[in-house]
Amino acid sequence: MCAAESPLTDISVLAEQETAPPYASRSPLAESWRSLKRNRGALIGLLVVLCYLIVGIVGQIAFRNPGILPHDYATQDLMGTFQKPGATGHLLGTDQLGRDMLSRLVVGIGISLAVGFGVTAISMVIGLLAGSIAGFRPGWPDTIISAIIEITWGFPLILIAIIIAGALGPGLTSIVLAIALINWAGFARLIRGEVMVLRNQEFVQAARATGVGDWRILRRHILPHTVAPALVMASYYVAAAIIAEAAFSFIGLGAQPPTPSLGAMIADGRNYILLDHWISTIPGLTIVLIVVALNLLGDGLRDMFDPRLRNR
Amino acid sequence: MLPFLARRTVRMFFILLIASIVVFYSLRFAPGDPTGAALNPLALEEVREAYRHRLGLDRPVYQQYFTFLGNLVRGDLGVSIINGERISNLLWSYGKNSLILGLSAVVLTYGIGIPLGLLAAARRNTWIDHLTSTFAAVLMGIPNFWLALLLVYLFSSELRWLPSSGSGGWKYLVMPAIVLAAEGIAVTARMMRSAMLEQLGQDFVRTHRAKGLSEWTVVGRRVARTALIPVISLAGLRFGWLIGYALVVETIFRWPGIGYLLVDSVLRRDYPVAQFFSLVLVFVVVLSNLFADILYGLADPRVRV
Repeated sequence: MCAAESPLTDISVLAEQETAPPYASRSPLAESWRSLKRNRGALIGLLVVLCYLIVGIVGQIAFRNPGILPHDYATQDLMGTFQKPGATGHLLGTDQLGRDMLSRLVVGIGISLAVGFGVTAISMVIGLLAGSIAGFRPGWPDTIISAIIEITWGFPLILIAIIIAGALGPGLTSIVLAIALINWAGFARLIRGEVMVLRNQEFVQAARATGVGDWRILRRHILPHTVAPALVMASYYVAAAIIAEAAFSFIGLGAQPPTPSLGAMIADGRNYILLDHWISTIPGLTIVLIVVALNLLGDGLRDMFDPRLRNR
Repeated sequence: MLPFLARRTVRMFFILLIASIVVFYSLRFAPGDPTGAALNPLALEEVREAYRHRLGLDRPVYQQYFTFLGNLVRGDLGVSIINGERISNLLWSYGKNSLILGLSAVVLTYGIGIPLGLLAAARRNTWIDHLTSTFAAVLMGIPNFWLALLLVYLFSSELRWLPSSGSGGWKYLVMPAIVLAAEGIAVTARMMRSAMLEQLGQDFVRTHRAKGLSEWTVVGRRVARTALIPVISLAGLRFGWLIGYALVVETIFRWPGIGYLLVDSVLRRDYPVAQFFSLVLVFVVVLSNLFADILYGLADPRVRV
């Protein structure tokens, strides 16, 4: 900005220009935050996700020490089954075994989020490794990894889940393994494509010309550029993993009673949907809200990291 | 084109071969075996041994695998261990049902998703656009098995319009098809909308408008054609998901399709049925990926292979 050459002498205009620095001088982080703030949907998504995370952490603690919540998530009260939401002492009512719905919901959110984020973290690390090797090393490493990616991607997830649940027994570990075993391929595809483009960019050639080793080029110059697209994908994948866990728990392959995951809670209520629908409606809505929030956040992040898509 | 097809066909067979090994071994290393479902629970261990021997299950797994592969290559699909049904008959009867369900879902997905995305893009930032986006966001968020429960509650229990599960006339098809298509509709609408918006800013659109073409011709035909490319390439990828969902949806609605049969046969350790139909699913997914690549080339001459 060349204020000195400007014919303006009004001091207030100059002062204003100083307090509002020109567009180009903002740091990328500040610019990203500005873009996120402008995107109402993404901001709401972020807020909802943060709220869920807090509840989820409480849920994880309560899963290990049920004493911290007013009601134990697993304690049955067969005299007080099917209490409607708002009943005294049970804000969200009780289920078919008289267990407090609110406590189950809090613990359920903790478990579902742990699965969603855990699966995504595992698949992201594997995908990052495999994708960057495949993208960086054309020739046989790429051929082999790409073939494995394609085989994995072509495999029906539920088939893997059934097979693993059969081998390890149904439970959350089997589900985490099954989903991660498929989802890493999504990340690997993405990272491979990004690395392949970046590998031939001038700044990489420049780094190579100055004698920087392969590993360092990959780590310092290429991988940082893949963080943004990987994060965007991660937010969608967390949502997809939460839904997948719920689906597997629903058909009985996932969380085993009395562990309450959101999908298992919907399954609990499926036989009572005619008269006491809230047993499955409450966890159902809980899933819809977090998934919509994660998708909104993903859309916001995508717009933020890809300026071409902004203002769309 | 021809070398491309040849290369892809070779790779497809390679994938199927690996998939067959994975499926074969994991099924046999999973706990339990067909005697659990085929024999009386009180059957003596000697009876179980004899049964396993008769089926050849006591041979080393690799020998069993080569027998299976040999029979498959000769076109002998074998019979179900549990009820002796010929697998070729099962393929026909269950495959037909899956095909009906899958095609209905595909028609619903693209028949609703594409026009919805087109409309949202053409009427950008109006209430139509906002309504479509909200609808898509919620539809993507609803787990399909819960949507199934809600639909059964509404249409079967409350309104009594549709049967809750099973198969028969078209009425049995409505709910499974909607549930199977739901997420696809949302994804397609979003994809179509953003692809349309990307194209609407291009120079060729201004040229078409300057030529005096009607807005409908420009948006509905010229722009929509180029915007279909990402939707098509996504279609191939989505097929894998669709098949995964089909297993859940068919199980919930007891729709007698390949997904239902597969889940059932895996749970009952009906090895020949489970093996064959797993491979059928993998084959369909790989084939659809190939088709997606070919269609991609047809829709966009720039990437023609």
